[in-house]
Amino acid sequence: MAGAHAASTDPDALSWYEATARQRVVALADPGSFREFLPPTERRMSPHLPLFDLPRAFDDGIVVGRAKLDGKTVLVAAQEGRFMGGAFGEIHGAKLVGLLRAALTLKPAAALILFDTGGVRLQEANAGETAIAETMRAIVDVRAAGIPVIGLIGGRAGCYGGGGLIAGTCSRLAVSEGGRISVSGPEVIETNKGAEEFDSRDRALVWRTMGGKHRRLIGGADAFCADSVSAFREAALDLIGRAPAFDLATLEAEQARLESRLARFGDCRDATDVWARLGVNDPDAVPAMDTRAFDETVARVREADHDAR
Amino acid sequence: MTQWRGEREARDARIAAGRAHADGKVVPAGSVVDLLEAVLRPGDRVCLEGDNQKQADCLARGLAACDPGKVHDLHMVQSGIVLPEHLDVFETGIAKRLDYSYSGPQGARIAKMLYGGQIELGAVHTYLELFARYFVDLTPHVALIAGVSADRDGNLYTGPNTEDTPTVVEATAFKNGVVIAQVNQIVDQVPRVDIPGDRVDFVVEADTPFYVEPLFTRDPAAMTETQILIAMMAIKGIYAEYGIRRLNHGIGFGTAAIELLLPTYGEKLGLKGQICTHWALNPHPTLIPAIESGWVQQVHCFGSEVGMDRYIRARPDIFFTGADGSLRSNRAFCQTAGLYACDMFIGATLQIDLMGHSSTITQSRVAGFGGAPNMGSDPHGRRHPSDAWMKAGREGQVVGDPALMRGRKLVVQLVETFGEKLVPTFVEKLDALELAKKIGLELAPVMIYADDVTHIVTEEGIANLLLCRDADEREQAIRGVAGYTDVGRGRDRAKVEELRARGVIRRPEDLGIEPLDADRALLAAKSIKDLVHWSGGLYEPPAKFRNW
Repeated sequence: MAGAHAASTDPDALSWYEATARQRVVALADPGSFREFLPPTERRMSPHLPLFDLPRAFDDGIVVGRAKLDGKTVLVAAQEGRFMGGAFGEIHGAKLVGLLRAALTLKPAAALILFDTGGVRLQEANAGETAIAETMRAIVDVRAAGIPVIGLIGGRAGCYGGGGLIAGTCSRLAVSEGGRISVSGPEVIETNKGAEEFDSRDRALVWRTMGGKHRRLIGGADAFCADSVSAFREAALDLIGRAPAFDLATLEAEQARLESRLARFGDCRDATDVWARLGVNDPDAVPAMDTRAFDETVARVREADHDAR
Repeated sequence: MTQWRGEREARDARIAAGRAHADGKVVPAGSVVDLLEAVLRPGDRVCLEGDNQKQADCLARGLAACDPGKVHDLHMVQSGIVLPEHLDVFETGIAKRLDYSYSGPQGARIAKMLYGGQIELGAVHTYLELFARYFVDLTPHVALIAGVSADRDGNLYTGPNTEDTPTVVEATAFKNGVVIAQVNQIVDQVPRVDIPGDRVDFVVEADTPFYVEPLFTRDPAAMTETQILIAMMAIKGIYAEYGIRRLNHGIGFGTAAIELLLPTYGEKLGLKGQICTHWALNPHPTLIPAIESGWVQQVHCFGSEVGMDRYIRARPDIFFTGADGSLRSNRAFCQTAGLYACDMFIGATLQIDLMGHSSTITQSRVAGFGGAPNMGSDPHGRRHPSDAWMKAGREGQVVGDPALMRGRKLVVQLVETFGEKLVPTFVEKLDALELAKKIGLELAPVMIYADDVTHIVTEEGIANLLLCRDADEREQAIRGVAGYTDVGRGRDRAKVEELRARGVIRRPEDLGIEPLDADRALLAAKSIKDLVHWSGGLYEPPAKFRNW
């Protein structure tokens, strides 16, 4: 792969969207601090893909390990969206679950999940679905132990399917404009409900509905980053510092937040209707806004920040 | 007694019949079928405007809805078979015979219908060739065209997508034909007159604006490192080597990658001002960074491109624009410009055989030619020299008096050794030959003949066919850049090394290119949004290309 050779590892210059999982992790962490668990040299590959005559990856599409972030130890998992759309298979899921369970004994300052996934890998669906459930359970345990779990979303594959569910269990999420968070993907919705309901080829609609700006405005994500590794690093540090406690009060607040969101926006036909109701002055201008203008808009929206999740 | 005015009288009668459904020249959208049934006669040659970009879609729907009892056996003479209605008329008997040029999206269906005998095929042409025949033996009786707006006198504003309209109207209106235009709206005064009103007989206010396909937009986000490597080789090994200033690009990702490498890799090589200054090209969004960086002096366009209008309006020094400020494109002139005034055509193809013949036909699809064979051919009528043209001529000249040497246009094929779904690009025999036999074509649909091709560029290197001295060398030069395809693996290793020593084949390392440097970081724009930024917000990409 050319990426590692030529692309800069300068976190300011490296585009999160363009970078590979390994480039993201290396550039995100303090220089030289990343130690990978089960690296590609270990050859932990999918046992299922050969049945379908499909190529395998030496790391099964996920990079996991330990690193320092501003001097503090964190555990990091990064999905590789370029391998099978970052989808969850048996090994892929086991590496993530194992990392999260290790957090209970290693007691890091945080666990970071760099999502880049279309959801469960169809060829190993049962194992993948199980991995999603186990990951959510593990996140709950980690958060209950007082360790924040931060999701970073800005890759090509977005964060879909089970990935979207897992993201919902994280303490805090950071997203960039190119990042998308949802459960059913655009094509799935169109297939089931028709192009009149959701035209998956209308990419402006897709991003308006599932993209980073919308998720940030409605409080689905807690930080909005420019598309650079340094911006994600800054957001991760900030979110670790203000992760909510994992207790009954937080969960009840989250339930109340989601109920009121549904009541307030349930009848909206388009994200721009939601933004208008949130008090955004010129909703149609939101997609074209640069990061600074968008940050100013977010600052005026009350619902964007909350104590829940 | 000889009748000298028969055609003219027939035309007057058609117009009189049509007037019954019109208010002056203006016809409501609801009366399109009545108008067409009144004007058309069985067996008419009809040009239904549409090419790879704009479509007279309202009139196409109207024609398809005509009563086959009244309108039948038409001979369609048109650039593009693109809309379903273009073929529906052959199923219902409204049309019978076809002469055309391009059939991208309908390629599979047209192949089936040709095979089933539902269409009597004249020939598959290049654009210029079909336009030429409009003036000789395929002159339309009726032309159905598309524009943006018209006034009540029929003065027509085609907007940036003028494309084929002037050519079609010229051939029809001045040879006793009837011209019917669909427009998006009737206005008191058109922004500029692209077609004078006395050449337009009827104007239909269409129910929806005419459709334009954004065919020339390539999303930088989808560009691969292999395409970038090929682009680097082309820039260094061909553009720089020959000093190509006047050129045409195909629509593939490879050439789009070249456009995006000019302000970065090209700049590093110090080539600004030396190459790529004058273009016959549609307004490719991927050319924006090169234009903004001062590489490009001017661009003449076949058609426009969706979303580029505001940008073009703001750059009249670069593009051809009218008094109203918007782009004036013209397919016939731009094809001529590409043929005679450009020193290089570079584009992709689907299949290349051992001699270098190429085709975009597969066994089940007849995609047509469009303009590529015009762009990708050496015009024997050219008589003006240029350094690039003369250098290519010298390389290709084997024998004969140097004083009588003429130049050569560079025709470059830019391909990956394996195409989509890992189908090999290099083949022993083109599928086009099989298809021609199956559906009984007299002429196999070859896109670019081997004797026009000068270079083939793949990720394996550049084969300079000008330097090959016999058929065997040519075959080995092609095999030598065909990589791991069967054709590539069948190469004679010693011969290929000998060709490499002579510079007939050049590998990336021979050009001083490190393949690992071929990184997306080199692209001046990595996404459609980057292109919008480069344009200062003037480029407005269609929804299907946005991810924000």
